[in-house]
Amino acid sequence: MALLWRLLPLALLMAVLIGLPPLLGAGLQNAMTNMLIAALFAVAFNLLMGQGGMLSFGHAAFYGVGAFAVMHLMTAIDRGGLSFPTPLLPLAGAAAGLIVGLITGWFATLRSGVYFALVTLALAEMLHSLAPHWEGLFGGEAGISSMRMPWGGFLFGRVIEIYYLTLIWVTLCIGLLYAFTRTPFGRLTLALRDNEERVRFLGYDAHATKMIVFAVSATFAGVAGGLLAVSNEQTNYELFSTHVSAQVVLHTFVGGSTVFFGPAIGAAIFTLFAYLVSDVSRSWLLYQGVIFVLVMLYAPLGIGGVVMLHLRHWARIPWRRMAAPYAGATAATLLVGAGAVMVVEFLEVLFSPHYFALRRRADMGWPEFHRFGTSWEPFGLATWVPPVLLLILGLLVLLRLRRRIVALWEEVHEQAAAEGRGEA
Amino acid sequence: MLEFVIVSTLNGVTYGLLLFMVSAGLTLIFGMMGVLNFAHASFYMLGAYIAYSITRTIDFWIGLLVAPILVGLLGVLVERYLLRRVHRYGHAHELLLTFGLAFIFEELIKLFYGDFPVNYAMPAYLRFPAFSLFGADYPFYRIFIGLVAIGMFVLLYLLLSRTRAGLVVRAAERLPSMAEALGHNVPLVFMGVFGVGAALAGLGGAVAGAFFPTNPNMALELGVIVFVVVVVGGLGSIEGSLVASLMIGVFSSFAVGLNWSLARLFDLVGLGDWARDLGGLMTLTLSSISGTVPFLLMLIVLLVRPAGLFGERN
Amino acid sequence: MSADAVLELRGIAKSFGPARILEGIDLSVRRGERHAVIGPNGAGKSTLFNLISGLFPPTAGSILLNGREIAGRPPHRINRMGLARSFQITNIYHRLSVFENLRIGVMARHGLRFSMFRPVSGLRAVNAESEALLQRIRLERRRDQPAGDLTYSEQRALEIGMTLATGPEVILLDEPTAGMSQDETHYVIELIREVTEGKTLLVVEHDMSVVFSLCDRISVLVYGELLATGTPDEIRANRAVQEAYLGEEVA
Repeated sequence: MALLWRLLPLALLMAVLIGLPPLLGAGLQNAMTNMLIAALFAVAFNLLMGQGGMLSFGHAAFYGVGAFAVMHLMTAIDRGGLSFPTPLLPLAGAAAGLIVGLITGWFATLRSGVYFALVTLALAEMLHSLAPHWEGLFGGEAGISSMRMPWGGFLFGRVIEIYYLTLIWVTLCIGLLYAFTRTPFGRLTLALRDNEERVRFLGYDAHATKMIVFAVSATFAGVAGGLLAVSNEQTNYELFSTHVSAQVVLHTFVGGSTVFFGPAIGAAIFTLFAYLVSDVSRSWLLYQGVIFVLVMLYAPLGIGGVVMLHLRHWARIPWRRMAAPYAGATAATLLVGAGAVMVVEFLEVLFSPHYFALRRRADMGWPEFHRFGTSWEPFGLATWVPPVLLLILGLLVLLRLRRRIVALWEEVHEQAAAEGRGEA
Repeated sequence: MLEFVIVSTLNGVTYGLLLFMVSAGLTLIFGMMGVLNFAHASFYMLGAYIAYSITRTIDFWIGLLVAPILVGLLGVLVERYLLRRVHRYGHAHELLLTFGLAFIFEELIKLFYGDFPVNYAMPAYLRFPAFSLFGADYPFYRIFIGLVAIGMFVLLYLLLSRTRAGLVVRAAERLPSMAEALGHNVPLVFMGVFGVGAALAGLGGAVAGAFFPTNPNMALELGVIVFVVVVVGGLGSIEGSLVASLMIGVFSSFAVGLNWSLARLFDLVGLGDWARDLGGLMTLTLSSISGTVPFLLMLIVLLVRPAGLFGERN
Repeated sequence: MSADAVLELRGIAKSFGPARILEGIDLSVRRGERHAVIGPNGAGKSTLFNLISGLFPPTAGSILLNGREIAGRPPHRINRMGLARSFQITNIYHRLSVFENLRIGVMARHGLRFSMFRPVSGLRAVNAESEALLQRIRLERRRDQPAGDLTYSEQRALEIGMTLATGPEVILLDEPTAGMSQDETHYVIELIREVTEGKTLLVVEHDMSVVFSLCDRISVLVYGELLATGTPDEIRANRAVQEAYLGEEVA
């Protein structure tokens, strides 16, 4: 019965992922494809981080290598006449990821901690700086492009077809990665994360173990890159950039690195919001950065971690007393968010070249500007008082409720500790 | 040829000194607090932009003076209110936080100044040639950057070795708990070091931004090279970052102008055409991979001798 | 080499730069015996353990395990040759359950180092052995709790359990009763006595009553040198040992 409860959210999710897209426009379908790819990339990354305890700042290397490998295969099919099933294209990404992962992994895992992170950064930057000059392999600055070929009765021309192909691959891969965590080796990597020294003293070659984890993570990152190549039909050296490596780090930690599905949640939320919000605001990346920093400061376990915490202590949480503070905190957060967004969006307009041109036309005065469907006076009280008020009010409420919530949670932890000691 | 060598050396040394200005703070911070500050190059960028704004509204020299101070204050705030909060979650967490901050700083710059370069330039009276070399003028400002860096190094060295505050800083670097037990306010020291490091980077930005392009990407571009410098020099060693900065500065300056490739090497044995036909790695010129070699060096150092040239073996 | 010596140290010395920690150690541990290493703090006992278990190589000398040289070998190799150690500062996997902590070691014993194609829940032998070990260290009721949540002495018991999980022939225990009350000490010592039946035990200890009741032979380490080796009675009677270390404690 308990198993059914656990599978229910997953089943619901799959139902939505399968049933919803045909009802959406091509733009949203493409966004969902990207969301799936980002989710797989993040889960693959977290195999190294959350499972193995190794923070990589250069995972874009395997992502990019996978994409280019698939791109070359596609070119060989498209122009070279090679016969290969289109749906299996991402396998090239896996192979490339595996090979490059094994080689770089051997080097990288010789070091740990910040040195490990720097090694991965160096490797990715080497590729990033080399690729635009290496015409043959990476197509120089322009990159490589190709076309998907029809196969098995499918044209693979429509976005929805690519979406389902991606969904199958991502589900399979995430499923494999989950199964991996349940194998002896998977349990070993968790131990490695907690206490590498002890693992060595229990008879395991820690370096070889870390190298294999690294390679597996790189393999699945390569699949993600391969799926991107299939979807976009073009790749270029920018896939190796720090921006790409940064994105996966952001997704993973906002979603929560200690929970298996955390990174997927982070990736899904950020990519979906990026798609929805990027049309309406140019400051999307700023919001992303701020959310990341806020999570790092106040919710270090990430969204997934917070969810798991609640699930773990479900029975112990005094819901009746918790409900009001939680509702209040949510409302306050929305207030603060609204206020902050207003301020940022106003500033964004006021400092934009477009507004500067308006000012020029008004003899360097300060004409009204438009945002959120209305016009605002740059120095008017009606413009700034509402958002500032929202911010102050929201922050005050949050600060008060925070103390209450923290106190309630201390009770929960006390109770858990007492139960552990056998007293409750 | 001689012209190339002299100009490249001069360029390399001045660029290296600029790198040093930024990396000195980073290596100091890491050596003392164990935090690799990903936002360090952001302080460099902020220094440039703040100096730009002050130059436009008030005066260039005021900008050079005030920008580093403001950036230093920002650094102090960052350490006190942000970094210290996540200190208990471990070094990886601190790293990630600075990572996020770098992100935010870049986006804030884009918000206020636009996603394109700004015209931050030195005042006209500084735009004279220092001397003429083989018919071409060598700009004085490049030398100026180098002089500021040298002056800063001397000041830093004197501060650390001759003053009481410097002594406390060095003690806190070696054994923070001991220094605290002896009554020194180590958290204050940390805050101060972080602030000074940030101010140094800000000074570098204020000075260099007037000569090199000032755009929102400058933090990222310089940032990764600065990491190479501190790793090669040795995390925590200021002398190391000076040597490494000069090495990498000179190398980059030379490499950018050289069209050597492996194929040309094969020319010496008559196999040049064969090599060129192979393409790929064979035809890559030194100038194209000039950006890659520093990372290769960083990789080699990390794998062979992580302590770098002057760092302490852990 | 004596016929029944399972672990033998010959001329072992260890320096860290100019600091000489150990000098001229000759020690022979007989098969099946319980051997204690005692000495004042800073005498080099933990360094000795670190050398034997492979954390770092000796500056000079050799260490033989069943006649095979293990000095300078990496820890995982030495463990696979049949030697395991516990740590003075508890070295467990805090976020894994107690059961898992034990299972990691058991998996190693079964050679499952890179097994990634079947679920760990299906490994009947491994799981059964882990359960058995769990019962031997008497932590059944803490089976699924994160190891980090255990009390100090429970963690020490787990520490010992993990050491045993790899099925070693020679067991090194580094101050197993450190920081424990009388009752807890008694409990842990009985546990150690039980689980080291038929195995060879080398234990660093400060509690003299433990040492004298549990061990067959004692070696005394003072300032990096081995002062004496012998039965508890011999050691008690040894004048040099009395002067250097035991003082009035033994009377």
